[in-house]
Amino acid sequence: MMMGFKIYSLFSFKMSIFLFLFLHSAIAYSSHSSSADTTMHTNNWAVLVCTSRFWFNYRHMANTLSLYRTVKRLGIPDERIILMLADDMACNARNKYPAQVFNNENHRLNLYGDNVEVDYRGYEVTVENFLRVLTGRHETAVPRSKRLLSDEGSHILLYMTGHGGDEFLKFQDSEELQSHDLADAVKQMKEKRRFKELLIMVDTCQAATLFNQLHSPGVLAIGSSMKGENSYSHHLDSDVGVSVVDRFTFYTLAFFERLNMYDNASLSSLFTSYDPNTLMSTAYYRTDLYRRHLDEVPVTNFFGSVMETIHTDSAYRAVPRKMSNRAGINMAVEKSVQHDDRRTLIDSNVQDPTSHIKTKDQNCPFTRTMNTFFDKVERIEHPDSLVNYGLILMLPLLMVSVWLSS
Amino acid sequence: MPKTETETPKMKPRPIVRLGIFLISHSLLVSVVCCTAGVLALLLLPLLAKNTYISENALMPGSASSMISNRDISEANRLASDLNGLNFKPQDSAAVESRRILTKYMSDLGAEVSYHKFHYKPNQFHPLHFFSSPDSTSSVKNLSCSAHGVNTVGIIRAPSGDGKEAIVLVTPYKFGKSGAAETLSLSIAYTVFSLLSRVTWLAKDIIWFVADSQYGEYAPVEAWLRDYHTPVFTGLGTLNADRCVKIDDPYVFEQKSIAQRKISDGFRRAGTMAAALILKVADRNAMLEDTLNIYAEASNGQMPNLDLINIVNYLAVHRQGLRVKVEKVLTLLDSRWLEILGQIFELLGKAARSLNPGWKFGISAADYIEGSATLASSLYYQALGIPTGPHGAFRDFQVDAITLEISPKVSPHNKARHNEFLLRGGRLVEGVIRSINNLLEKFHQSFFLYMLTSPSKFVSVGVYMIAFALLVAPLPLVAASLYADANQLDLGVKNTKSTPTATASDELDITFRSWKWLYAAKEVFLIHVWGAAVSLLPYFICQIPNCSPTSSSVIWVFLSMLSLLILYLIVGSPSTHVYISQSKEKGEWAILKSATISAVFIGLLVMSVVNFAAAEIGALLLVPMCLMAQPLKLDMKAGKLRSFLRIICNVVLGFIAFPPAAFFVVKTIFEGFNSINMGDFWNWMESLWAWNSATYIYIGMVHLPCWVLCLHILLHSC
Repeated sequence: MMMGFKIYSLFSFKMSIFLFLFLHSAIAYSSHSSSADTTMHTNNWAVLVCTSRFWFNYRHMANTLSLYRTVKRLGIPDERIILMLADDMACNARNKYPAQVFNNENHRLNLYGDNVEVDYRGYEVTVENFLRVLTGRHETAVPRSKRLLSDEGSHILLYMTGHGGDEFLKFQDSEELQSHDLADAVKQMKEKRRFKELLIMVDTCQAATLFNQLHSPGVLAIGSSMKGENSYSHHLDSDVGVSVVDRFTFYTLAFFERLNMYDNASLSSLFTSYDPNTLMSTAYYRTDLYRRHLDEVPVTNFFGSVMETIHTDSAYRAVPRKMSNRAGINMAVEKSVQHDDRRTLIDSNVQDPTSHIKTKDQNCPFTRTMNTFFDKVERIEHPDSLVNYGLILMLPLLMVSVWLSS
Repeated sequence: MPKTETETPKMKPRPIVRLGIFLISHSLLVSVVCCTAGVLALLLLPLLAKNTYISENALMPGSASSMISNRDISEANRLASDLNGLNFKPQDSAAVESRRILTKYMSDLGAEVSYHKFHYKPNQFHPLHFFSSPDSTSSVKNLSCSAHGVNTVGIIRAPSGDGKEAIVLVTPYKFGKSGAAETLSLSIAYTVFSLLSRVTWLAKDIIWFVADSQYGEYAPVEAWLRDYHTPVFTGLGTLNADRCVKIDDPYVFEQKSIAQRKISDGFRRAGTMAAALILKVADRNAMLEDTLNIYAEASNGQMPNLDLINIVNYLAVHRQGLRVKVEKVLTLLDSRWLEILGQIFELLGKAARSLNPGWKFGISAADYIEGSATLASSLYYQALGIPTGPHGAFRDFQVDAITLEISPKVSPHNKARHNEFLLRGGRLVEGVIRSINNLLEKFHQSFFLYMLTSPSKFVSVGVYMIAFALLVAPLPLVAASLYADANQLDLGVKNTKSTPTATASDELDITFRSWKWLYAAKEVFLIHVWGAAVSLLPYFICQIPNCSPTSSSVIWVFLSMLSLLILYLIVGSPSTHVYISQSKEKGEWAILKSATISAVFIGLLVMSVVNFAAAEIGALLLVPMCLMAQPLKLDMKAGKLRSFLRIICNVVLGFIAFPPAAFFVVKTIFEGFNSINMGDFWNWMESLWAWNSATYIYIGMVHLPCWVLCLHILLHSC
């Protein structure tokens, strides 16, 4: 009798170890599978880069500032915009309107108002700094405001303008960013889970060639011109004496001027709004790395903002990633309910079919019961009482075993 | 020893060596082909001219609208009438008064005004001043106090600029005795200056330099630039300079004490000069529209950056509707042979286009003639090496500058027309200044080496070099071939049947023969030394008082011949030639010709670096003569038709290549026989050395000695 109990207890002990191990591995697996596909879109970032210097490139700075203004208007806060401006046109001695920058000859809108926060200016705009911002490899002294603190739930808008050529973009007359560099940086970002989706928008000559080497999933790219084409400026401001905006950016801005934060125009409507005749070049977009249908994606997914709020009890306790995701889902669902009447498109937070299948595969019955058990265990609030109950439970067991052995 | 040589299999030389040997052995054919091609390439240049384009992105000419207002123009008119009101006063007081008025107007605009005094000293022959930078420490002694002028300089500081750069606007003005045209140029400059004192977009300071042009337009600009670029830190220099001008000072101080304006007697500077515009208004104009003449040639054929000419041309033609002209040789316009040539090229172009519509190199005969006339003038003024205006002084300091000469259609008395002219001129200058203001660096993007065939067409260095390269290419080949022939060297091409039985005496003979070129080289060297001496002679001839140009040139020719004779008597005695005269066949004269051709080759190449146009013209004259030269005696003996033709060619070429002869021939062609005067050549040469032109050195030390050597070959007693 005694032997039988021993065997049983041994079995139960082994069983519990096995169960524990299994449970552990299941948790690990589920956390690993939470890649970009399944994570929720939780925040938006924008990196806006003007790569050219000198007075005659006024329009590039105006382009960038106009886009800066637009994304801010559509809801991306300043702390999530990295603005890189190579030259200060506003305070250039040649500027007829000191400390003002315009993107239209009607001079109605001063782009260089009080609340422009430039993160990288002048000679700080280098290929090195640009790649550091994208990949997040900064020196320790770089303040948080100059870093791209995105995560795997981020949608990032990367806008670049300047002078480019076949598979390169010129930085300040001294350096070049090649398409390989860009693709490499994006790949690193992907591996470091720094974005969920990335929209690269480039307004340079032969912009399309810059995307040739990209191969990371989740990247959407749009350029102002095909290989062998120039991107032209839109118009000349004869008062300031320079061209003030490029065609591609001008029509992009014209598109966004009609929108507000809650509009749900899709990316495809933006992309089809480019007319090669007015643009004098062919806008090119590369979608083969991008999963979703463009007409299901609202432009505000990139140009607007989703804000995730994580409630924490204490300032110093780290919240596990998994929990935060769940919170994100809850919040996003609430939000989508809130704006349901406005949004006709499929919400980005609803996962696509492939990810559904994956999650179903994981949920075999055993795991499910173990999960519920685990959940119950977790729900017990006082571990002390659990120990007490366990001790009390031991008493009958002891009595029974004594009774059997005797 | 010889046997082993014949037995070893002959090493095949490398292809480049074989090619060289092949060319040398066919040097006659090569030289005929190359020279013809060189002349043809020169004639083809107007066809190969490209349209100018603005190369520097930063310039953006004409992108800003003009801001000149009627207020600026009426102010300028007031200034002009104030200045014209002084014309009835005696000259000295009028000069002082007009300077005072100008200063008042300038300082009313908020400009910093200063005076710059300079002493005029006429250019003199300084043997050591060639190629040297303008001398700041030139002695100021022996200056007559009467020969000084006072320039007026107004500076507008860029409101938010860094003050490191400046744009210069120059208006030559004869204070006290100016004409209507000069006053008009002053009003245009004032219109622009008045506008620029108000604008916020200046990144470079603006200097308005009113040059006191009583001693010519070049001297005051040159003096000011020299003082601008060589700051004097000790008080001595200023003391020296001010010794004579004390008389003028009271009005300066008086003005200062009364108005407390920013007028100073000291030297005021702005930053480094980005560019300079010299603005002039010509008196009258036969054309039906307002025209703009552009002068750009500076010393030694240097040109300002092509972009500067481009923006002026672009703004004048497309914004202000002016007719832009550059200098051309007018007599070429109605020359018959050029017309025929133009028609031939036109036909060829048409034929080519009918074969393939993509070939578009043909231009119309009229265009060709225009282009050639402009190109000829461009080539001539560059070759001369004398600046065509005050812009030359700027080029010496590496500042890009051009002279704009605007000539109005009608007399400047018509009031409405007058204001319109002011507006046009002012807008042109404003546009150019605004464009240069946009510039971030010095002009560097476009060409510096070019020739214009029209204001909007140019031939770049890569194209016009071809003509010169083709002309000089046969020289080393012919020299090598002559040397080989004279030494009976076997170049491995001809089949040598000479028996390899060399005796000791033959060995000696070969050794001596191979050093024979030293005698020729010595002769060439001595003649070049003589050339240097001849080009120094005018320094002494100048010292002779009261010498007319004609007698000067006669003295020069006489002294030159005398020195040549002395040289020949001292070193050229026949005894040294004893050994060489034994050599057979071509012998001595061929070696001499070879050495001469080498000297010509080196001289022309060096000159092409210094002043390309001069080298090109020199090559046209020298190369055929050098290649043709052969002792007349030999041809006389032969007595064939071919030798007779060669004699004629030699004599004609020998005559034309003589510098004075070439000068007079060209002068006769262009101006008629009546205007020939012995003194002209002296004057011409005097202008060359007075302006420190490298062409003078070229004529004295390359062209003349080579001509003498060729003459020596022609008259050689072989």
